[in-house]
Amino acid sequence: MKLKIGVFKFTSCSGCQIELLRINENLPGLLNLMDFQNWTMASSNVQQGPYDIAIVEGGISTPEGIEEIKTIRRNSKLLIAIGDCAVFGGIPSIRNWMKQREAEDLVYPKPEHLKSMKVSSIDEYVKVDVYLKGCPPHLDDMLEALKAAILNIRPRLRQHPVCIECKFYENECLLTTYKQACMGPVTAAGCGAICPNVGRTCEGCYGPMSNPNVKSMVERLREIGLTDEDIMRKFRKYAGTSEYYREVARL
Amino acid sequence: MGEAGAFVAELNDLQRLLDEFTKHGYTVYGPIVKGKSWVFSKVSSIRELDLNYTRTILPPKKLLHPVKNRIFDFKLNDGFEVFESCNVKNIVIFGIHPCDLRAIEKLDEFFSQHPEDVCYEARRKRTLIVGLTCNAVDEKCFCNSLGTGPEASTGFDILITQISDGFFLVEVGSSKGLDILKTLDLAEAKPEHFEAKRKHIEHLKSSFTKTADFEGLATLAKDKLDHKIWVETAERCLSCGNCSMVCPVCYCFDLYDSLDLTLKEGVRIMELDSCQLLEYAEVALGGNFRKERSQRLRHWLLCKFGAAGGSTYTSCIGCGRCIVYCPANIDLTEIAHVLKGG
Ligand code: SF4
Ligand code: SF4
Ligand code: SF4
Repeated sequence: MKLKIGVFKFTSCSGCQIELLRINENLPGLLNLMDFQNWTMASSNVQQGPYDIAIVEGGISTPEGIEEIKTIRRNSKLLIAIGDCAVFGGIPSIRNWMKQREAEDLVYPKPEHLKSMKVSSIDEYVKVDVYLKGCPPHLDDMLEALKAAILNIRPRLRQHPVCIECKFYENECLLTTYKQACMGPVTAAGCGAICPNVGRTCEGCYGPMSNPNVKSMVERLREIGLTDEDIMRKFRKYAGTSEYYREVARL
Repeated sequence: MGEAGAFVAELNDLQRLLDEFTKHGYTVYGPIVKGKSWVFSKVSSIRELDLNYTRTILPPKKLLHPVKNRIFDFKLNDGFEVFESCNVKNIVIFGIHPCDLRAIEKLDEFFSQHPEDVCYEARRKRTLIVGLTCNAVDEKCFCNSLGTGPEASTGFDILITQISDGFFLVEVGSSKGLDILKTLDLAEAKPEHFEAKRKHIEHLKSSFTKTADFEGLATLAKDKLDHKIWVETAERCLSCGNCSMVCPVCYCFDLYDSLDLTLKEGVRIMELDSCQLLEYAEVALGGNFRKERSQRLRHWLLCKFGAAGGSTYTSCIGCGRCIVYCPANIDLTEIAHVLKGG
């Protein structure tokens, strides 16, 4: 029996689904195992649930969204949150730090028609079984989660910092050697250190690692000359509402 | 060493040595410049190498105990079929400093214990080691205090020391090394060349600024598990694992299987791991032996001081890498000093 899959989107940029579309050469293998019954980005042939697995992108920011995510949860055995928006609120949650009406005025000419709230992760409303951090999460992690779901085992999603992967590639360290503001030491790995690999600092797009030492990281960033305002922005960017970053993001 | 044979060489002779390695089917790795750092990389010309390098980011262990290593492929049909796949070729690691030579000896000891790591052993058997006496030491080196440098006496097939500008003493460390050197027809070294090396080593010894005293620390540190230094230092520690990744003797690894989409075939991967990471001591049902950052930092340091399990092999050789690459400026020699009551 093939697993029935539904892919859903809330407040997000669709980048995670684009990453999932990258399955390409893996597709034949994957289609032997699962049937994408509802994935509007990939096919207009949509079947209503119930589903074995719901893959959900995006945070929740409207009253309708709350109802929809609850329905999806009721209709699915397993729920996988993909990407920072679904896991933490993500980039859209930067606006959580200002007044709702200020954010609306900034973006929309006629905000009076909006029915928007502060952005939250989906686990604010429903139970999530697997969290795939990243902006977007790497395709390998998505496949790992799907394979593990079929086998009914825990996926291997190590939550160690980007520094580990950075060392696998033997990159020069941008923080210690170049005094650049690299977020690698607090950021969960999984990306393959793609930014340091090309000489750019980690922006923190996988959100916090398993137990980041945020306090020490703030000190390190101050040491190399960042202002508290710069530091606050760094922590707000992808996962400002997460339990670990909240305090610094509020700064 | 002198007895086994020693020669003198110029830079073009070293190029001939590289060519000889290539002729014998070896791929040569040596220290090259990468930005402001150095890495061991494939080389074909002696001019690509920086014989004045200080320390590479990753130590030579990356070539003997790779960061990610596919150890076997498997198939699940009725039973379980395994196909060993450690990928081994003939390599030369050219230009290893004395402290790193000592580290390889420790890796050798560890991986050859029962049950041996067959991939490591296969790789090691097909590796030739060319040591290089340091031209200078920097403010992070402290091998002199630990007796692991700056003079190497074992652990190489060939040892090169620059005794004057562009002029080298080439010492033999093994019969394999001698066989290759013989083909080059180099002039034999004379007493004055050994004397020049001795002077160079004396000069190196007098230029260390960093010292460390690890004597007796293995037992002492174990008695001081409650010392406040562990918790205090852990406030700074990021648990980033950089220290153990770059340590030439830290060999700890994770093993995991990766299945392909048939769910019937896959590979087993051996991947470098670090005891500074939370997941390292995690067990089933969410248990973890070292949940606290300070416990992990303490564990790593105890191991480096020679106290933790297996640390006869992993302990420190004084290369300074962990100090250079710690974003939080944690320096194990300072911690040793505090533990010793300084
Ligand atoms: S460059 Fe960044 S990610 Fe890489 S080791 Fe340095 S701090 Fe960590
Ligand atoms: S503990 Fe530090 S100084 Fe000692 S061998 Fe390892 S990396 Fe080098
Ligand atoms: S490199 Fe420094 S901050 Fe990172 S784990 Fe090691 S001691 Fe801690």
